[in-house]
Amino acid sequence: MLNKIQNLNYLLIFLVILISFIGAAGLYSAAGGSYNPWASRHLIRLGFFIFLGVILALINIKYIYEGAYIIFILSLLLLLSVELIGVFGKGATRWINLFGFSIQPSEIIKITIILALARFYHDLKFDEIKRIKNLFFPILILFLPFVLVVIQPDLGTALSIAMLGVLVLFASGIRIWKFVLGFFVLILSIPLLLNYLQPYQKDRIFSFLNPEADALGRGYQLIQSKIALGSGGLTGKGFLEGSQSYLQYLPEKQTDFIFTLIGEEFGFIGTMFIILLFFLLISVCFYISIKSNHIFGRILSIGVGSNLFIYVIMNISMVSGLMPVVGIPLPLVSYGGSAMLAIIISLGLVLNAELNGNLKKLHNA
Amino acid sequence: MFYSDDKKQYSVLNRRTFFLYLFKLSFFGIVGWRLYNIQIKDSQKYKTLSNNNQIDVEIIYPLRGMIYDTNKNILASNIKVFDVYIIPENTKNINKSLNELNQIINIDFTDRRKIIELSKKVKKFEKIKVLENINWSDLEKIESNKLNIEGIFISQDYMRIYRYNDIVSHLIGYTNKPNREEVELPFIANMPNLEIGKDGIEKSFNPKLIGKSGQREIEVNSYGRIIREISRKDSKKGNDIQITIDLRIQQYALNLLKEHKAGSAVLMDINNGNILCMVSTPSYNPNKIIQKPNKEYWDSILDNELSPLTYRCIQGLYAPGSTFKMVVAIAGIVHGVIDTNTNHFCNGKIGLGDRLYHCWKNNGHGLMNVSDAIKESCDVFFYEISKKIGIDKIAKVAEDFGLGKIYDVPLPNQKKGIIPSRDWKKKKYDESWYPGETLISAIGQGFVLTNPLQLAVMTSIIASDGKNIKPNIIKQNINIEFEKLEKYQNAIKIIKSSMFKVVNESKGTAYNSRSESAPFAGKTGTSQVRRITVAERESEDFRKKEVEWKKRDHALFVGYMPVEKPRYAVSVVIEHGGSGASTAAPIAKEIFQFTKKLET
Repeated sequence: MLNKIQNLNYLLIFLVILISFIGAAGLYSAAGGSYNPWASRHLIRLGFFIFLGVILALINIKYIYEGAYIIFILSLLLLLSVELIGVFGKGATRWINLFGFSIQPSEIIKITIILALARFYHDLKFDEIKRIKNLFFPILILFLPFVLVVIQPDLGTALSIAMLGVLVLFASGIRIWKFVLGFFVLILSIPLLLNYLQPYQKDRIFSFLNPEADALGRGYQLIQSKIALGSGGLTGKGFLEGSQSYLQYLPEKQTDFIFTLIGEEFGFIGTMFIILLFFLLISVCFYISIKSNHIFGRILSIGVGSNLFIYVIMNISMVSGLMPVVGIPLPLVSYGGSAMLAIIISLGLVLNAELNGNLKKLHNA
Repeated sequence: MFYSDDKKQYSVLNRRTFFLYLFKLSFFGIVGWRLYNIQIKDSQKYKTLSNNNQIDVEIIYPLRGMIYDTNKNILASNIKVFDVYIIPENTKNINKSLNELNQIINIDFTDRRKIIELSKKVKKFEKIKVLENINWSDLEKIESNKLNIEGIFISQDYMRIYRYNDIVSHLIGYTNKPNREEVELPFIANMPNLEIGKDGIEKSFNPKLIGKSGQREIEVNSYGRIIREISRKDSKKGNDIQITIDLRIQQYALNLLKEHKAGSAVLMDINNGNILCMVSTPSYNPNKIIQKPNKEYWDSILDNELSPLTYRCIQGLYAPGSTFKMVVAIAGIVHGVIDTNTNHFCNGKIGLGDRLYHCWKNNGHGLMNVSDAIKESCDVFFYEISKKIGIDKIAKVAEDFGLGKIYDVPLPNQKKGIIPSRDWKKKKYDESWYPGETLISAIGQGFVLTNPLQLAVMTSIIASDGKNIKPNIIKQNINIEFEKLEKYQNAIKIIKSSMFKVVNESKGTAYNSRSESAPFAGKTGTSQVRRITVAERESEDFRKKEVEWKKRDHALFVGYMPVEKPRYAVSVVIEHGGSGASTAAPIAKEIFQFTKKLET
């Protein structure tokens, strides 16, 4: 046990804490120079989740491997129950109350998808991967949560699940032509899919694809967030000196748009520094993946790294106007427990995979 | 074997991992490049924007689509109106400006006081509304004096206008500000102040008529003053809609109906189901609803016990009376209960159980076959045959002829009416059907309720020899072919010759309304609004007496024209009109003659 604690990847843990502290600083500034209401809770959560993550890193990987499918099914049921509450209860929601905590199952499901896929490809012999029938199960693992999230409707998370699936399947060694085929099938099925939608659902999707039309809402945010980023310049206006954010121009400044506040106060140097930290964190995940001696650990690490990558790229693209505003937080920096929990737990799994990287056999197959 | 396989797999995975890593690196590059552009290259632009000024987005409202009649007469359109504002900072003396304006257009003294009070509270550059929706001539007067009056600002707006006032009001509806629920409707999107259709075509076609909003980004300084316009996307006008109504017939029919307190008339083109005229009285003037203040007019409408807002053609439910007899006769023929030779003797009443059922003609009609029974509208004949047909078979035929249905036409709040059957009564009252109720239903009384549009559709189906005609209100350039209900062919032939006799042979109930210029066929109906007591019946002349308006029978007439190859079907209902023959049939005749004249 002690041995394991000594061998933990402290670079990874350090990066997580550093990024989260930058987030806390941003939240402190967003609250007008106050720990309340966001920064303090952000830090308390950080401590608690890191503790959970380290515990998770220390347990025997066999349990995680064996529980992978069950955990996936449980999280799927959790997601389904949110749907049902949405249908029968107080209207559409993305949240569920579990043991007194408000949890967003759509954040958790991304991690359990990685687990399930990692186990599936671990169990599969390499020769079997190319067989078409072995595509069925992974696609099912991706498709069920995808559909549930789409009907929430949370197209941002749905999109990130789809991207996560593509990246993990690519990493698992699926033949390239299948991706090309899948891409064409997707393109061709879009008009068909639109046919089945109700007019009001179409309206939602179109206003979603074209938020500029909704200028007072999302378009407004985008203009403001560009002003915040741009006015920061190279070095920024300085900590607590950002004007845009205080003036309530950014309604979601503490969640999805926190990056713009950092950009305003710390400038291009600040934003590049955060991007560099994330890039390092993702690189550590990839490094652990390459080092791992078993497929489960490899897919798990590369999946978690890819998930992190999707969050970061989608969020920054969104606030800088490269893609529509879809409501994806910046991991560890944005205020919000579910995403932070999911990210830190998943990194705990990566740490675990590294500690157990030399394991010869996971199961007696 | 196993080992080498493993080795291959790991080398594939290593390669893939490397590619993924490059992929991600490139994305980080793109994001970094983007941030470089915003934060370094364009930084100066955003710094200026952030210093004092803020960007506001203003919604440009779209112009609502127009509504035309079948001949391209404009039924609903938008007129330019003008609002007059005063801007405090542009005048040295706001009091003087208002007084000068008052010399051109009268402004209420208290309003002037309010404006001056307000001008002290708001920012100096903010516009204060002085006059709303002023017309051209007033505008010209102001424009010619504008240089003399300081601080005046005129802005342009649009107002919905219905050129023909009350003629098509029920059908077209009117517009108004959305209520709290309607604001949530998807087509309103970001335009909370948009006027939307509240009734009729205006309501059904909101999504089409509204169009798309535009927007402009404006830069405002820290005090809220507009510095400049940054971008502008114009709004897109809503689509126009053309309906099948012929304004000339509509207007003509309305004038005929206005001689009575309340009623309706529907005229359909049998060839395509197009509704040419669908008018209901009393009517209302939508322009008076739109123009504020409208409280007085609203109150007068709501207080009117004849409820002018009700569109009687689709929302008025009436017992169809004898106009229902065609359906019963057809059911009798189709189900083999009667043929042209079947006779029944009418002595003025028949008994069933312990009750007597009366014919409208107290002395009786004598020996009647189906043709005579329709022509002279003998009730006893229909009592007799309905006993043998049964209510369920009658109901089935009634539904085939379009009764008891809500049509797929874009008119809100259609009332379905009732075509009774055993099942219906069981469901509705949890009671079984009494045989006497079949008799009452057979003469279109009792539970039976229809709206005038349904009666017109029924008549169209009969006139077209059983084509399954669907009403249509939106003008289309396609030819519609309706499916023919073959099983009714024979029966309809008999009924049509009887309907011809109703109008064109002596002793026919509508013989007095026959027309030489536009010969037509039809059927009268007189539907009781209350039960006739025995004492009244014995007094013999209960029909001739001047009874109170509200207690008088409804007068109905349905008919088609021309007799050979019919083109038009009509239904006329006059509330408490007395009898179909005396009140409704003459109106139908006038409508037919007018329509015929338009053709030539």
